[in-house]
Amino acid sequence: MTPRRTRIIGFVAFAAFVAFVAVLPAFISDFKARDYSYVGIYLIALLGLNILTGYTGQISLGHGAFMAIGGYTTAILMAGNEQFGGPISGGMKDVWTLPIAGLVAGLVGLAFGLPALRLSGLYLALATFAIAVAMPSTVKRFEEFTGGGSGIQLFGTPELTGSISNVEIFGWSMTPNDWMYYLAWSIALVAFAAAWVILRGRTGRAFRAVRDSETAAVSSGVSLARYKTLAFGISAAYAGVAGGLFAIASAFVNPDAFPVALSIYLLVGIVVGGLGGLSGLVFGAIFIAFLPLWAQGQDLGSLLPGAIIEETQKPGGPAIVYGIVLILLMFVIPNGVSGLFRRIGQLISSRRYSRAR
Amino acid sequence: MRRPSALVVALAAALFVALPVAFAGSSADPGVSPTTILIGGTSPLTGPAASYATVARGAQAYFESINAKGGVAQRKIDYRIVDDAYNPALTVQAVRRLVEQDKVFAVFNTLGTEANLSIREYLNLSKVPQLFVASGATTWGRDAAQYPWTIGFQPSYAAEGFVYGQYLAKTQKKAKVGVLFQNDDYGKDLLASLKSGLGRSGSKVIAEEPYEVTSPDVGSQIGKLKASGANVLAIFATPTFAIQAFVFANRLGWRPLVINNAVSATSNTMSLASEGGKNKTIEGTISTTPLKDPLDPRWKKDPGMKQYRAILAQYAKGANANDANHLYGMAVAYETVGLLKRLGANPTRAGLMARARSITSAANPFLLPGVSVKTGKGDNFPIQQGQLQRWTKGRWVPFGGLWTSKRN
Repeated sequence: MTPRRTRIIGFVAFAAFVAFVAVLPAFISDFKARDYSYVGIYLIALLGLNILTGYTGQISLGHGAFMAIGGYTTAILMAGNEQFGGPISGGMKDVWTLPIAGLVAGLVGLAFGLPALRLSGLYLALATFAIAVAMPSTVKRFEEFTGGGSGIQLFGTPELTGSISNVEIFGWSMTPNDWMYYLAWSIALVAFAAAWVILRGRTGRAFRAVRDSETAAVSSGVSLARYKTLAFGISAAYAGVAGGLFAIASAFVNPDAFPVALSIYLLVGIVVGGLGGLSGLVFGAIFIAFLPLWAQGQDLGSLLPGAIIEETQKPGGPAIVYGIVLILLMFVIPNGVSGLFRRIGQLISSRRYSRAR
Repeated sequence: MRRPSALVVALAAALFVALPVAFAGSSADPGVSPTTILIGGTSPLTGPAASYATVARGAQAYFESINAKGGVAQRKIDYRIVDDAYNPALTVQAVRRLVEQDKVFAVFNTLGTEANLSIREYLNLSKVPQLFVASGATTWGRDAAQYPWTIGFQPSYAAEGFVYGQYLAKTQKKAKVGVLFQNDDYGKDLLASLKSGLGRSGSKVIAEEPYEVTSPDVGSQIGKLKASGANVLAIFATPTFAIQAFVFANRLGWRPLVINNAVSATSNTMSLASEGGKNKTIEGTISTTPLKDPLDPRWKKDPGMKQYRAILAQYAKGANANDANHLYGMAVAYETVGLLKRLGANPTRAGLMARARSITSAANPFLLPGVSVKTGKGDNFPIQQGQLQRWTKGRWVPFGGLWTSKRN
């Protein structure tokens, strides 16, 4: 397929996906809309992580921490921290906190990108892992700023749009769950398009050059320092926005809401979705949002054989099912869902090519 | 740049639509049908506190035994347990799913202080009962006026910590207490009340070492506590960390008097910590419980404990009967069945809470004789009693009679 043709197909597919996302709530129960809003939230974080890991080749085991920064920024701007003895009075409407959440996390990401320049491969992975591990304790340490272990409650505050009552927007009334869904997905789709724009041009080429060979990239005039820090900054900003949305969706933040496991799940998400691809990330996000639930024999998991469901009800059971599914997936689609699509696309186009001959 | 292909969209569409759509109930108060009453709650089936999963399993087994006898008021009790991995963000999602999708009548026995804090506003504003919270944080009883839809169950951490403090004040001349505590409301509740129990006695807390739920172990904390010169070690930690504390202290050759909080003091946990009898630190550990101890020979012929073993053998196959968390689960399920019986044929959420605030249950078969479950005007703490006990040669030996907390 010619680049032009694939681009047109891409646009059409994206437009179709947007339309699909827009009408979906009409076909599902009110609560499912809330469940799917988490898919949108994880998608944003995965897009950011894939820019860093999939495209620039810098492994981060600490993106949960950037989500925490975004989440806490949003929560503190909304509810304030005066009640714990902090300086911020809060009172900002939830939606407006999101750009700030992205900005704050992005700046921290940029700052982290600087020392990260000196580290590569495993050492960078360890350094990022360290921030994920340190995050809960850091949050608790600055109790007067963050509310410590008890966290910050957002449910029922006037800053949270639609705690229990319907949301009126442009003369249109929707349930709080539908509101959450549209908020998360409209940001996710914009984030998706933005990632595409960033990655298709000069910047994206530079990212990939850094990933494929640092030496070759430098000798072609790509500044390693500039592009590595940039990738960290963009990636962290994405995670920050996702974290802010996560705080709004949960209406609660607490250090344990951003555990080390979250960072690992995000990495699992981009591997399942496919490193260095964007479209597959939707599946990575579904994987993160729903597999823990399915692994308990709930929702889709209820379709599992009864004997397995019985096992999932036992202590530790869900974790075992989760692990088995992950291992199987990596056997079947080692390059993730994006890789699978690429394979299918190649098969189709090579057949067409041979037929044309 | 890989473009989103048409196939992606098609597959995404298929997956979304294929997900089963929930069916909504249509009775007056959600969760009540002519044949069933649906309740639900989260429990850490995985993660750092997974050893508590047996609480929910014990409760489940008890409900099934009641269902086998026809249920309550012709209704079977359907108790839905959802895993939250001890992560409050997941608790929020799971509980909203239980309330909005599964339409439970009440949220029941959800485990963990932070987990329950994370859903309290939501449940109270939505007017859904948050029944018998599986956490001893003092706030459940203390703030009942502000959160009328929330009620606890077990003795409060404030009461428990105070009892330890008083015990040390009375029995030790100059105890130097080193405290290992979980760095959250639960751990801090116990620590603060321990201090108030010590009061102005010669004993005092000389070292405090917090740990995070997410941390791998508490080795360095135990090392520091030993180095502080403490001669009493207070463990305010969940089972995994409590076991580590015993093991590390023993390896360091440290033999303090140990206080171990009730939430990690089941015989099962203690047996694990004793490393098959090789652990020397554990002997003489002090704890408290309102429950009967499965290992105690006193209860060999006790009808309540016989019932406990029979139910567990029949409805929770493979469960370890020595794990008293099952017993806790049964005790809380027993009280819930009592409430539902009093509610009668037409249960409502408001009715449930009204009855939960006026319990007079003197003889819960799974609790120690004399431990009553009662609430009433100005008393929002269901259990306020316990029994001090000392770990002696592989089992708990009670001493000093029941204590009753007047302060919470």
